[in-house]
Amino acid sequence: MARTTTTRRGLLSGLANGLMTLPAAAVYTGLTVVPVGYAVYYSFTQYNGIPSQAPTWVGWENYARIIADPIGDLRPAAWVTLVIAVVGAFLVNGAALGIAMLLRRTTAFNTFARAVMFYPHVLSALIVGFLWQAILGPQGALNNLLEHAGRSTLPFLADPDWALVTLVGVIVWAQFGVQLVLYLAGLQAVSPELQEAARLDGANGPQVFRHVTWPALAPTVTVTIVTSILSLLKVYDVVLGLTNGGPGDATQTWAYEILAVSFANNKVGLACAQAVLLVVVAGILSFTIIALRRRAEEGAEAVG
Amino acid sequence: MTRTTPIRTALRVGLVAVLSIAMLVPMYIMVVNAFKPQQEILLSPLGFDLATLTTDHIAAAWQNTSFPVVEGYAVTLFLVLACNAVAIGASVPAAYTIARTPTPLFRFLLFFFVAGMFVPAQIILVPAIFVLKALGLMGTLAGLVLFMSSTMIPFTLFIFSGYIRMLPRSLDEAASIDGAGRQRILWTIVFPLMRPIVATAFILNALSAWNDFVSPQLILGPGSQFRTITTGVYAAVSTYTTNYEIVFPTLLLAVVPILLIFVIMQRHIMGGLSAGAVKG
Repeated sequence: MARTTTTRRGLLSGLANGLMTLPAAAVYTGLTVVPVGYAVYYSFTQYNGIPSQAPTWVGWENYARIIADPIGDLRPAAWVTLVIAVVGAFLVNGAALGIAMLLRRTTAFNTFARAVMFYPHVLSALIVGFLWQAILGPQGALNNLLEHAGRSTLPFLADPDWALVTLVGVIVWAQFGVQLVLYLAGLQAVSPELQEAARLDGANGPQVFRHVTWPALAPTVTVTIVTSILSLLKVYDVVLGLTNGGPGDATQTWAYEILAVSFANNKVGLACAQAVLLVVVAGILSFTIIALRRRAEEGAEAVG
Repeated sequence: MTRTTPIRTALRVGLVAVLSIAMLVPMYIMVVNAFKPQQEILLSPLGFDLATLTTDHIAAAWQNTSFPVVEGYAVTLFLVLACNAVAIGASVPAAYTIARTPTPLFRFLLFFFVAGMFVPAQIILVPAIFVLKALGLMGTLAGLVLFMSSTMIPFTLFIFSGYIRMLPRSLDEAASIDGAGRQRILWTIVFPLMRPIVATAFILNALSAWNDFVSPQLILGPGSQFRTITTGVYAAVSTYTTNYEIVFPTLLLAVVPILLIFVIMQRHIMGGLSAGAVKG
């Protein structure tokens, strides 16, 4: 008797627990998990997205096409995305850490400067792209200034190589503020006594940084590298505003390929295969970095 | 800390000042040129002549039918509030249950939700469109809100469950002995204590909803009667990128409110971000 009531109570509370998680689970499953499932399924089909025509199963064909790249349109996008993710992550983190060291003390001037470094993040990436296009375009503000100063104009967005460099620069300008905030939070946690002790032992500024501050920052560095790479891998809006992928396909990123090339041309199967690959690459990269950083973080505990 | 010489301080302040100016120059160019005719924008991008400053182009941008400014703001603000209501409203009870039920099933459920943080929203948008079509929600604000909320739930739920786990269980137990039901404990005792983490989630979700371009553009469709700020700017500017009489005033109208909000809420926004990252 007592036993049945407990089971019944257990069942009831289990049901109540289920009901509490139901709304979140339903929205998340319906519009994130199911679409991921669909993406995986469509990635093995040829499908133009028209409801009256069913997808036809083609096996690994879409993936084979991405890897073999017969008409040479996907490798440039993979290359552009790789450059943005790797070079961008280095520059974003370098700028953020360097400026965080300059602004680590909380003074009125530094608080103002932190806000100034951060504000591009509250603007939408599309608007940032359009704004810099108006500044760096062939007719843009900077080239007009150069012309009036009697110098030759610079092909910031007109030359393929320049355009990629410019794109990375604009992304760094817009994004390092986020990582700056994270580094500032990380620096607050570095023990001031330890730094002072190192100084008293005769260490100079760079030595204190290398042997005390940097190891203690290790967990922050992991977070900033992973979050910046994850966001750099899916760069799209800023490209649309700044270059629209051009000149030619010089600044077409992987996300641009998915949305503005494959999907826009009704190649839903191919678009989904590209999306699945991007998620897989992002996952592998994140876990690799987290695993590689574990050693550095263990060092942080020893120092902290 | 104590051994900073005046020269080094001056160098540091100088460097920071130069960097700050470099960060602000694009804003200056945008503001100044929004009030100038095309001819002058091309002749002197940085200067301005008080005699020829004009608000004509701002007025034209305000009346541009591609980017209905007031409606654009209304729709975007609606998205910010509605997505937050759905994402936070759904995540609070789920996170509470997950945090207070330490069984393998609920641990797996947390993992199931957290996995969503690694799925970029704009990447699953293509298949999500087919789900929305099947539900009859394609092209509607409701469909857009549901999609954007679903991309916010993983992170929101993750930081909520971490936070609830730090709240002492004895609170729940005391209230339970006093006869309060689960819903009552959650909403009258636990939820008020969650205020800091709810504020963090609200700010981060609000920024991502405010600045989202791809989801409204693809789900509402370019021909939709609803324009957000970003899709409106795209419609107004993308084909006229060298007509600076259109570009600068339109961008100015699009960024002034969010910059004002940022200036007022600066400490909360930046604080919320670092709080979210520490929890995440």
